Amino acid sequence: MIRVAALDELDPQLLKGLCKHLYTAFGVGTELSEPVSYPPGMAEPFDAERLLEAAPAVRAFQDDKVLYLTRARLKERTLPTGNVPTHGYCRHGKDRALVTLAGVKDLEAGLPLVSRHALHVVGHLWDLYHCLDPRCAMFPPWTPSFEKGEPTFCTFCREKSERKIALAKS
Amino acid sequence: MADAAPQPPFAVNDRVVYPNLGLCRVSGFETLTIAGQQVSFVTLKRETDGATVRVPPGKLTSAGVRRLAGKQEVADMFRFLKSDSDKATLDWKQRARTNTERMAQGGLIGLAEVVKGLQVLSELRPLPTKERELYDNARALLVSELAAALSCSPCDVEDAVDVALSPPGKERPRRTAEEFKRTADGDEDALGDDLLGLDGDLDGIPTDEPPPEGEAEGDGAGEEAPPKKPARSSKPTKAPKAAPRRPILSDEEVTMTMARAVALPAEPKKRGRPPGSTSKAKKQPKAKKPAAKAKPAKGKKGGRS
Repeated sequence: MIRVAALDELDPQLLKGLCKHLYTAFGVGTELSEPVSYPPGMAEPFDAERLLEAAPAVRAFQDDKVLYLTRARLKERTLPTGNVPTHGYCRHGKDRALVTLAGVKDLEAGLPLVSRHALHVVGHLWDLYHCLDPRCAMFPPWTPSFEKGEPTFCTFCREKSERKIALAKS
Repeated sequence: MADAAPQPPFAVNDRVVYPNLGLCRVSGFETLTIAGQQVSFVTLKRETDGATVRVPPGKLTSAGVRRLAGKQEVADMFRFLKSDSDKATLDWKQRARTNTERMAQGGLIGLAEVVKGLQVLSELRPLPTKERELYDNARALLVSELAAALSCSPCDVEDAVDVALSPPGKERPRRTAEEFKRTADGDEDALGDDLLGLDGDLDGIPTDEPPPEGEAEGDGAGEEAPPKKPARSSKPTKAPKAAPRRPILSDEEVTMTMARAVALPAEPKKRGRPPGSTSKAKKQPKAKKPAAKAKPAKGKKGGRS
């Protein structure tokens, strides 16, 4: 089960559309959780890793994946090979992910892009790695073509996620 | 027996990498009785799922078990990923052999070579399923080892690998077969024109289609090489001149042919009895008349060309 928790007040239609995209992509139940608040002592732009660690827990089962949504900006990350913009962050192979809506002006029109970012980070939670297919949501998100794609997976990533989900269920 | 065994180069709680399995931790040394003999083992526990692997100390080196990569190796690996290195060969068989060796014995750089080689190849054409799986495995092993070596989260490490391969804001380049040509020619020289006897098997395949223009410019290894040896066959039959010998059939060639086959419209099916199916059909040439009468019926259906 994927549980979506909003750190800010968001349009219910947007959340509903996002849940629908997540359900279609992964084939597992997606549910809205109660809204949660930002952890104290943090200011915008947030450090994505710290925010994810400090975010309040959501009532969930052990194998549930929790996706936090925020309107706030996230800091660029400094990596050994350069800086990258942070659209989302996750604990790879674990239980929590975070997506920001900061770069999206029109949320209604930008729903596919938000969903694509959400699919990307939740895919990492099920051990998916970056994909070679530009149409797939697991393509690196800082490439220009990422924004033009649909919130779907390629066949390889879809099958891999299905295997991982089946293993988690068993 | 156990005293004569070589001393393992690792200590308990050392983090090591077992090829194709990933990151492990040395959990201890034990001696087991197997078929009445005392055999000593180094016990490794895989970090991802806790699976236990027992390796005799004398086989640690041959199995490719090594220490976690150090900072210098990591820096070299990132330098390699950023560099403009040689392209992978288009000969699938040689590529598979090379990649398997790299995965087993290549260390961190070997994993990076597999990832980069297959990624660059994917910029020419989509990878086949097996190579896509290999790419995913290599990437998973690379990311897990780097994350342990740098003490970073795997998410950051994977992004760092991809930033090295394609910087932010830029699309991945589209490759042409010309870029791979030099490597393919070099491979052809190294292997000779008769790779594992493939040419003998391919001699009997009729080549109805003329080679396309783009392919003739240099796609796969061995395509441009003129035939050097006579065909292997017991009878000295006259080989048709129209069918040139193709010593190595690269996978791209196969892909191109398949793609062309899909793109071509299907030939219309021949109606009526096949020639020679009955003796009457041969004797009576007037048997074609019913087919001619059937023509108006074809037109009524809306017509196949």
